[in-house]
Amino acid sequence: MTAGAATPGAASGGGRDGLLRLDGVCRHFGRLQAVQDVSFGMREGELRAVIGPNGAGKTTFFNLITGFVPPTAGDIWFGGENIRDESVVRRVRRGIVRTFQITEIFPDLSVYENTRVAVETAAGLNGRAWLTSARRREVAERVDELLVTVALADKAHRLVGELAHGDQRVVEIALALAMNPRLLLLDEPTAGMGDRETEHMVELVRRLHAERGLSILFIEHDMGIVFGIAQRIMVLDQGRFLAEGTPDEISANEKVRAAYLGEAA
Amino acid sequence: MNASMTGSDAAVAGERSRAASPTAAPRRNLRAAGAVVFWLALVTLPLWLTHVGGYTALGTKILVYGIAALALNLLLGFTGGLSFGHAAWFGLGAYGAGMTLKYLAPSTPLAILVGTVVGGIAATVLGPLVMRRRGIYFAMITIAIGQLFYFIAVRWNNVTGGEDGLAGFERAPIHIGPWVYDVQNETKYYYLVLVCFAVAVVIMKLLLASPLGHTWVAIRENRRRLQFLGVRIDLYIWAAFAISGTLTALAGTLNAMLFNFTSPQDLHWILSGNFVIMCVLGGMRKFWGPLIGVAIFVVAQDYLSSVTDNWMTAIGMLFVLIVLLFPKGLLGMLGRRGKEAA
Amino acid sequence: MQLLLFNAFNGLIQGVFYALMALGLALILSLNSVINMAHGGFLVIGAYLAYTLAPYLGFWGALVAGPLGAAVIGLIVERFLVRPLYKRPDPLYTLLLTFGLALIIEDMTRTIWGAQGLPFQIPDILNSSVSSVLFFITGYRVLVVGITLLVVLGLWLMLRYTRLGIRIRAGTLDLETVSSLGVNIYLLRALNFALGCLLAGLAGVLAAGILGLTPPMGSSLIMPSFVAIIVGGVGSLVGAVFGGLIIGVAAGITTTYFPAASDAVIYLIMLVVLVLRPRGLFGQEGLFE
Repeated sequence: MTAGAATPGAASGGGRDGLLRLDGVCRHFGRLQAVQDVSFGMREGELRAVIGPNGAGKTTFFNLITGFVPPTAGDIWFGGENIRDESVVRRVRRGIVRTFQITEIFPDLSVYENTRVAVETAAGLNGRAWLTSARRREVAERVDELLVTVALADKAHRLVGELAHGDQRVVEIALALAMNPRLLLLDEPTAGMGDRETEHMVELVRRLHAERGLSILFIEHDMGIVFGIAQRIMVLDQGRFLAEGTPDEISANEKVRAAYLGEAA
Repeated sequence: MNASMTGSDAAVAGERSRAASPTAAPRRNLRAAGAVVFWLALVTLPLWLTHVGGYTALGTKILVYGIAALALNLLLGFTGGLSFGHAAWFGLGAYGAGMTLKYLAPSTPLAILVGTVVGGIAATVLGPLVMRRRGIYFAMITIAIGQLFYFIAVRWNNVTGGEDGLAGFERAPIHIGPWVYDVQNETKYYYLVLVCFAVAVVIMKLLLASPLGHTWVAIRENRRRLQFLGVRIDLYIWAAFAISGTLTALAGTLNAMLFNFTSPQDLHWILSGNFVIMCVLGGMRKFWGPLIGVAIFVVAQDYLSSVTDNWMTAIGMLFVLIVLLFPKGLLGMLGRRGKEAA
Repeated sequence: MQLLLFNAFNGLIQGVFYALMALGLALILSLNSVINMAHGGFLVIGAYLAYTLAPYLGFWGALVAGPLGAAVIGLIVERFLVRPLYKRPDPLYTLLLTFGLALIIEDMTRTIWGAQGLPFQIPDILNSSVSSVLFFITGYRVLVVGITLLVVLGLWLMLRYTRLGIRIRAGTLDLETVSSLGVNIYLLRALNFALGCLLAGLAGVLAAGILGLTPPMGSSLIMPSFVAIIVGGVGSLVGAVFGGLIIGVAAGITTTYFPAASDAVIYLIMLVVLVLRPRGLFGQEGLFE
């Protein structure tokens, strides 16, 4: 039940039908093996979760995909191309966009202004000192559209720094969506949220996947959410690949249970 | 743009976001009224300033320093680059204009052009040396770079006049076809400066409303996040540095012609520090903050130097008090936009 | 040739003052995160205090008392003016505060001691030349170099082997961790600030013996000290010392051939360093960006 078996042809062109593939990826920090020989494949339009006990290497796994840390061994394929040596910026341009565990926003700007920066960046307009009115309207419409999508239109003119934590995380998602992601990575999207905020976020993620067909990979601690919305789940444990499969397969998996029970005990 | 929504949805969104702040329309009217009053006051300034104890040249000086401080604030308040060396561009503009009038041709527009271009090129060329630094290091390098030009001006005696400054030039009447605008008249020079001020303000307002301006503010707010989005922030800091320097040089040219004199003091780090405190005093998060800071600072300096020999101490105290008591500046204390919108 | 040696040696002496200033600035910059624009002011305080106390304490007593006075005033300034600003992360505010202090100190010096230059009496024995050929090497200049060497060595030993020194060094790397280990970082930063001011005061007294005293002597020495730090590498104390000596000697040598450029050459060296090696000669990578 390894990912390698599920997606053949890794060596030759890296799984042409897959969106993302990792082949035997390792990363160590000094003597600490954060991620060890992990292989993984994901198709376009999937909604996947990555789970694992604390210290399983989930964040490093994300950092490897997004380019924040380079792998010490192994290859990373995206859309059929090897991107293992590419920078964060190159990968963002390819459509690998992430949100952060700790909120990373522009606090003294409004929700609208936050989103507009991302929209203008996605359109490559950062250096423009002048926009035609048609172009400006396009930007404004895109911002409005994104704010409707994430249901923040009624808070468009609030300063982000003054919003509730849950709304700040939603702004994060708006920023990520503005970059036209082909693969959206969410790092614990509901961390630190209350029940209502969590519900809102889960609904948003589900909708982005269902209505837009967006490929989403997320790390999450709340098993209720993971098993509620993910189509497939990958489990990491102490930096190693442990299991991969549908929610049903994972919940029946002995090794996964042992890993989690082991942690609880 | 992968719009998966219809246009009408977007329209609804716009509608809703506007509806969220019901006070928006009256506020807009208030702003427009404020702008009209502001510009009217500036246009009529030579008529009333003398009646409230000022003199026209003081008004001109406030506008000149206003251009410099507003320009500095593009970098300082909007991009978050702590430049402590803006006197360099101011002084280069001043010497450029003065030397053009003295050695090249008695043409006021040419002097403005040459001075602005010289200062602008210097800022553009030296920008890459600082654009990657942050905070404290950015400040240190800008301080030190600024002093280079100071020493050139002091030591290159036979051309710059050395410590004594550059004198022996005069702003020349402007000929437009058969019509002559004699800027040697103080009031007429005021209006020339006011036109330059208005042009500079329009340029800065347009820039801040453009994607470039949005990028600057985002750099100030969270440069890391912007880098994650794939923005090469150093290029945009460079742009801010160059534009800010160029407009500051414009102010320098006008300053040289206001006094028909310039000296190494116009290049000195003390002037750089004064520009920064003007921005802070008025409020560097607001577009007009620096202008208010300039008005207070210039008037205070003018007054203090006439009543006490220890005006330097008084100015120094002003620095200390502003830092300890009014770090957000006068406009910053009047409340923030976000709280009103809530 | 002798002229070149003469100027190079003059430059070295000048460089010693830059180095002492830069060392204090660098200490305060790295642990207190303050660009101390008033550093020249502390130099002036040290010099004028020594001048005032010399009739009572003698030259040697004044040589000790001047710097100590600067340190005490530094301690007071740190406690009441700088400390409240540590919680503001923007370095802008301490920069402006110390800038204001620089103006106040210079102006007050002028009011108290007058704008005229004053001579600082040094013992006659130090005024005589050590060598008859190299007439410019007087006993006093040897003393200046000697004291500076001793101070730099002492500082190095202190930072290396004493508890205070080790804490200061650790604090420049990671203040939060040092704080979490139970070290009183307020006290640490206060002492460090005072130490920086002590070095400035020492530079002031030593410089007074050669250049005499004038109120703006501080502001004319502070800018080259910034350059010394940038050339040597921000964050490196060794760099600050060598940066100061290098630009001092370079300015001295330039005086021989092209006197008018002796100030500008310092800044040209800085520009070259910034272009070719942005982190400075001794700077650590990454610290700068």
